[in-house]
Formats: sequence, C-alpha cells, structure tokens
Amino acid sequence: MDVARDNILNRVRSALRVPAHQPLPPTSAPIFPPVTNPEARFREEFAALKGELIENSEALAGFIKGFAGIATDGSELVGNVIGEANASVRECDLGVTSCDCLVAQTGSVIVSTISAGGRALSVLPPTHLVIARREQIVPDLATAMALLRKHYNKHWPSALSVITGPSRTADIEKILVMGAHGPKRLVLYFAD
Amino acid sequence: MVTVLRRLNVDVYYPKEQTCCGQPAFNTGYWDEARTLATRYCEIFAEADAIVSPSGSCTAMVRNFYPELLGKANQTTAHTYEFAEFLVKKLGVTDVGAKFSARVTYHDACHALRELRLKDEPRQLLRNVKGVELIEMDQAETCCGFGGTFSVKFPMISYAMDEVKVTSIQKTGAQYVVSTDSSCLMQIDGYLRRQNLPIKTISLAEVLAAT
Amino acid sequence: MTTPTLEQFKHDAAEKTADLHHRAVIQKAIATYDAAVARGRLRFADWQNARSHAAAIKWETINHLDRYLEQFERNVLANGGHVFWAETAEDARVHVLQLARQHGVEKVVKSKSMTTEEIHLNDALEVAGIHTVETDLGEYICQIRGEPPYHIVTPVMHLTKADIARTFQQKLGAPLTDSAEELTMIARARLRQEFLTADMGITGANFAIADTGMVAITENEGNARLSFSLPRVHVAIVGIEKLIPSFEDLALFWPLLSASGTGQAITAYSSLIGGPRQERETDGPREFHVILLDNGRTRLLADAEQRDALHCIRCGACLNACPIYKNVGGHAYGTTYQGPIGSVITPHLRDAEEWSHLPYASSLCGACTDVCPVRIDLHHHLLHNRRNAVQNKFDDPIQRLLFRIWLATMQSPMAYAVASRLGNLALRLGIAQRLLKPWTATREFPTPPKQSFKDYWRQHGRRA
Repeated sequence: MDVARDNILNRVRSALRVPAHQPLPPTSAPIFPPVTNPEARFREEFAALKGELIENSEALAGFIKGFAGIATDGSELVGNVIGEANASVRECDLGVTSCDCLVAQTGSVIVSTISAGGRALSVLPPTHLVIARREQIVPDLATAMALLRKHYNKHWPSALSVITGPSRTADIEKILVMGAHGPKRLVLYFAD
Repeated sequence: MVTVLRRLNVDVYYPKEQTCCGQPAFNTGYWDEARTLATRYCEIFAEADAIVSPSGSCTAMVRNFYPELLGKANQTTAHTYEFAEFLVKKLGVTDVGAKFSARVTYHDACHALRELRLKDEPRQLLRNVKGVELIEMDQAETCCGFGGTFSVKFPMISYAMDEVKVTSIQKTGAQYVVSTDSSCLMQIDGYLRRQNLPIKTISLAEVLAAT
Repeated sequence: MTTPTLEQFKHDAAEKTADLHHRAVIQKAIATYDAAVARGRLRFADWQNARSHAAAIKWETINHLDRYLEQFERNVLANGGHVFWAETAEDARVHVLQLARQHGVEKVVKSKSMTTEEIHLNDALEVAGIHTVETDLGEYICQIRGEPPYHIVTPVMHLTKADIARTFQQKLGAPLTDSAEELTMIARARLRQEFLTADMGITGANFAIADTGMVAITENEGNARLSFSLPRVHVAIVGIEKLIPSFEDLALFWPLLSASGTGQAITAYSSLIGGPRQERETDGPREFHVILLDNGRTRLLADAEQRDALHCIRCGACLNACPIYKNVGGHAYGTTYQGPIGSVITPHLRDAEEWSHLPYASSLCGACTDVCPVRIDLHHHLLHNRRNAVQNKFDDPIQRLLFRIWLATMQSPMAYAVASRLGNLALRLGIAQRLLKPWTATREFPTPPKQSFKDYWRQHGRRA
C-alpha cells in the first residue's frame, strides 16, 4: 500500500483526462546525415576530441613502458595485447579495457561493466587505454543502440557509458581544460 | 504608408472608427478587455480585402492571437498584413521607387521577426531604395527592450536592453536605424536623445515614402 | 500588487543591469556558446525536423505519463533497484535521510542536479551532520562560495578566472594562480579523495528510460560516473517528467541535449544506470534507489494548455537566448529554475501569487521559443501565465481599473480622439514625463507629431 505512489499516479491520470495540443509531426527524413566512411569518420572525430590513437604494436610497447601501475579488465583481448595487471584500479596510473563498440558519428567508445571490467576502471585511472578491433566501428548512435540491445538481450549490465574523448570542463570562463575528474588521456589501440 | 500604396495604385481606405487592436491589454493579461476590442476590430474591418498596418506587433496580435482570443480565425484576421509584408508578399513589389541617401542599419522588431517571420522582406525593400547603404548590426535580432508595459514595470532591465541595442547600432557607423515598429523606434530614440547621440530613428514606411 | 519576492527581484535586477562588468562577462560566455551551438546544429541533417521528432516523443511520453512511469518502475525493480515515490520536496528529503541513516552514511558525493537544488537537499543533509560534497567543478565552486548556481547548465557563468582563483585561495588555502588548468587540477585532487571515501553518491538524471528501467546521466567531467561507481549506495533523484519511452530514443536526445546545452556532438560521458552491482560484476554500489519526484509537476500536467512545459530537457538554451537573463543573470530570479522556462513553470511549481511577477519580467521577444529543442511554446505560456494572474486577481487593483478606463476609451472613437489630443498636450507640457518616471528616468519621450493621422486623412483622404 504505497499511498504516495497512488496519489501521484491518480493525479497524473486525472490530469491527462484533458487532452493537450499535439505538435506538428516530423517528416520521415533521416535525423542525421549518413556516415559514408565509418573508419575515416571515427578517426577524424576521435582526434578532434583529443583522443590519441596508437598505430602499431611497437608504439604500444613504448606507450605502456611509461606507466608503472597498470590495471586491466581481465579480458582475453586485453590479456593477449597487454598482459597481466600489476596494480589495482585505485592505485594504477593506467587502466586498460576492451569496449562494446566504437561510434563513427561522434568518435565515441561505448563501454559497460561487462566489456570494461566494472564501473571504475574506465573512469578512475588518470589514463584510459582502450583495446578495440576495427570491426567494432559502427556508423552512428542509432546502430550502436540497436547493437547493444541485441547483444545484451534483456540481461543488461548495471551500467553503460558512451565515452567521447577524455574528461573535460569549460566551467571556468568557457576555457577548455582536460582531465577534470575522469581520465585526462583517452588512448585507443586497434588490435586487428 | 498611404503615399507608397497610392504610388502603387492601391485603393486605400481608412475607417475612422478604429482605435486599438487591444494588444496592451492582452499582453498584460487582460484578455476580456482585449477580446472586446478584437470583436470591434473584426466588425470595423469586415469589408476590407486586405488590412495593412505599419506595425508588426499589431499585425501579429490580429493574425496570430485573435484566433486564440476569439476561439477561431476569420477572413478579417487572416487578411491583416504588416506593411513590408504586404508590399513584398502580396503585391510582389520590392522596389517602390524611393530615394533616401544615408547609411542605415535595420532593427528586427521581435513580433515582425518571430511572429510574422519577416526577416528578408524589409531588407529587400531597403536595399532597393536609391542612396541607401544598409549595414547589418551584430545584434539586429536582439530585443530592444520595449515590450509594452514591461518598459515601465521593469525599467532597469528595459534600459539595459536599450543600451545593448544602441551599442550595437553605434558599431555600424549608421546615420539612421530603421525598423517596422514605431514602439521599438520610440524605445531606441528615447535612449539616443537622452544620451545626445547623433543617430536618428526612422520607420521603414517613412524611408519608402521618401523621394 | 507587490510582494517581498517581487521587490527583491526588482532590487537584484537593478543592481545587475547596472553592473557593466557582469554584462561583459555574461555576453562573452554566451557569444562562445552561440558559436558552438551554431556548429553543433549543423551535425543534424535538418535541425528543425530533429526538434519536431523530439517534441513528438516528449508529447507521447508526457501525455501517457502514468503508463510510462509504471513501466519504468517495473523495470527498475526487476533489475534489483528500489523506487520511492515522493509527492513533495519534504518527502524526498526525508527518504534520502532515512537511506543515509540506514546505511551509516557520513559522507555524500553529489553530481550536478537541479532537482536536488529544487528540494534543498544539501541543507537537509548538512543539518543531519552528513558531509556533502558537490563534485561538478562549477557546483563545487558555488558550494565553497555559499552561492546557488547561476545557470542550470553553467553554474559559474558569472565568475571570471580571477574570481575563482581568489575563492580557492580564500577558502582552500590554495596558491593564487592565473591558470584555468591549475585551478581545475586543484579541484580534481581535492575531490578525488572525496570520491574514494564517500559512502553514498547522489545524482539526478537527464532522462529516465521506461523500457529498460535505466536513468541516463549526461556530463563532461566524469564526476557523476565516479559518484555512482565508487560509493556503496547510489541514489538518483528524478523528476517524473524526465521519462522517455525507449533506450533507442537516446540516439536523438543525447545529441539534441548536447547541441543545445553546449554545442557539442555529445558530451564526454553519457551514461546509463540500470541497477545495483550484479553478481557477475566487479564493482559498483550494492544498492540503487530511484526517487521519483512530483513536487508540483502534476499541477503543471493538469494545465493542458501549458503541459508541454514538462517536455523540457533542461538544456539551458532558452536562458542563453533571453535578453532579460543576459542582463539580470541567474541569481536575480531568486528560484531554482531561471530564465524563460523558470518563468513559465515556477508559478505552477511554487506559490502562483508570490511568483506571478516572473512571467511579466519579459519583453515577449520570443527568442526562447525559437531555440527550444523540444518546441515548448515558451513565450506564449508567459502570456498564459499573465492571463491566469489577472483571472486569479493577483494583479494590482489600480492597474485593473486603469485597463477598464482604457477599454472604455478605446471603444469610443470620440473618447480616443480626445485622449490622443490630451496625451499630446501632456507631452508638450512635460506632464507625461513627470507621471511616467520609470520611462523618463533614463529615456526621452518622443516629440508628438505635428499632425495626427486622423487629421492627415481628413486633408488627404478622399481622392477620386
């Protein structure tokens, strides 16, 4: 017997007995222009957001050497490319994860608790490295959402994030500063 | 306005009984009072093919708000036009043969711009006036701060908006600021003359009538 | 009819509109915003059509809100979360305090939420001895200054870098610096400790997804993600109007909110939370609580004419377009929701008479309606609120009388003609100027024309 719930729903139903004016319908034209070359578009957007792309395994080895404490999501992909973790999420200076997919339209990386080893690993460390495959690039958000729904098939993870560039703020005089609370650097390596 | 319309061979009539469209009452929330005047307007202008007004805000009141006030649109409300709108959209005229040598900038009166969607039409007419040099100000679309009773209810805000507008006008180096609505011109002129600035205000109708 | 609230508003407006430094700071911030938004809108094939799509989806949701609320609740519960229905701000506050007591909460980290501002949650938590930390950089600055946020999206739009540096020096003992980067890093370091030791994270939600039972949170800094990832308990306070039908709708709403809010394609972090930590997951809160808040929203829902004001996605575009907001700033409104949307909804959410002046503090320019990404008829609702104020007799009896006299004059061409001549005479003699001090304090009156149009017509009217 939830009185508040009943009260609120009753007030809603009673309010809705009077119809409200309906807006003019939209046309059926696509909302976003089509993405013609997803990989090129992804690279362009990702770079514009100050995301960093590592082009080959030598560069990756050099990059990793710069970090003392590395935490990983424990996935096979990351294990094969990076090896084992040597630090916890809270203590590391580099967090390495896989991802669900990459979105060309916005240059985004989509992660979840399942694809990226929990909630904190992709947001707490000062640098976040994503190991992905080119085949994970999808043209736009609509395709990404459809893919996620199909993949998780009602067994949703408890949290998902669409990550678009490193953490940033413009709260101080609209001056862009990177690394407000989340990772200051977002780095991506294609394993394929 | 009459001068220009006659130049274009339009048969103009002025019903002497007309007074006010009722907008001041409507905008302040006195809809019953406004409704009385709306009914009166429709009676007075019932015989006209078209009703032309030198005010974007009065036109918007009649065409856009009378239907809500009266419960429905009618022939009279639908055939009420602002002057520049009438010339360009109804008569298909963009050159009225006027002559006015001056550097001018144009202020988009809010009702004309957003209620009647008039942006290009006044500019087309101005550009075709011999001698006019039209310079756009950066804040052309920003409200001048009149807003009817707003200007005396919240005069400090109205004044700040006036100042922002005049600052933008000054940056153009224009000798005149032109607009469709005399209430905007009164607001802008009030500031210009209090500050003793050399810029003058003039209505679009006056520019189009000049020869 | 004047109230203390109106007098305060006029006082604050007078102070801010005369403050040229304030005007310059706000103008600069909004010019940057305008340029970014122009670019952001170009990412849509047709911005106007995108608005229409969004308006249609919100109309569908709000006009079937009971159905969507029930579906949302079902799904949250199925995913192991809790739902609490709060009729008032007080109910919501009491429930949060109960949860805090239950879980032995000593420290709370909060992400930016206007809904939590609306219910004055922080004060209640502090009174209960719970250390509450705002983690959004702008909100953190407001908190240490002891000020409310200036703008629903950009909390410290009114402060310069120097103002913030001075605040950090005074309140945090930080060294004075000229660098926005250094200031941000000072906040980052401090707040990192707070995230790591907090017991409860409190967020709002930008959207509540009915068909998956998730709340969607949009941010750029990462503080919300940290707030719902590290503490043991996550509480999300969500206005009932935040519902959207389906997960897939975010493909429109995320970019729409970003384009109008900041001009971005999408913000750095757009997250979805569907429940507490699962068996198969390695971290996250053990409990997830959604508080659905009414607090006057059903009153607005019942006003079918203005119901679309509940479509608002809190992007802030109308504030940035409003010439009144740009000149008086956010604090002058004296209430949580500022700008045009604030002036539309506040008379419904709070006492209608006390807040009846806000809809009048507008020149009705309509810029707000033009920019609203969900096509709320904002400036027309200001007119509706004014009509309601008159119908409810909140207006000044003298004004009411004046309009009756005015109407009588306007109904009689003879009286109108006489009044016009008297008016012109009053102008020539300077009497009008003395009576209308609010105008003449700062502006001249026009010179009356040499000839009225009626006289002109008498001379030139009839022609063959």
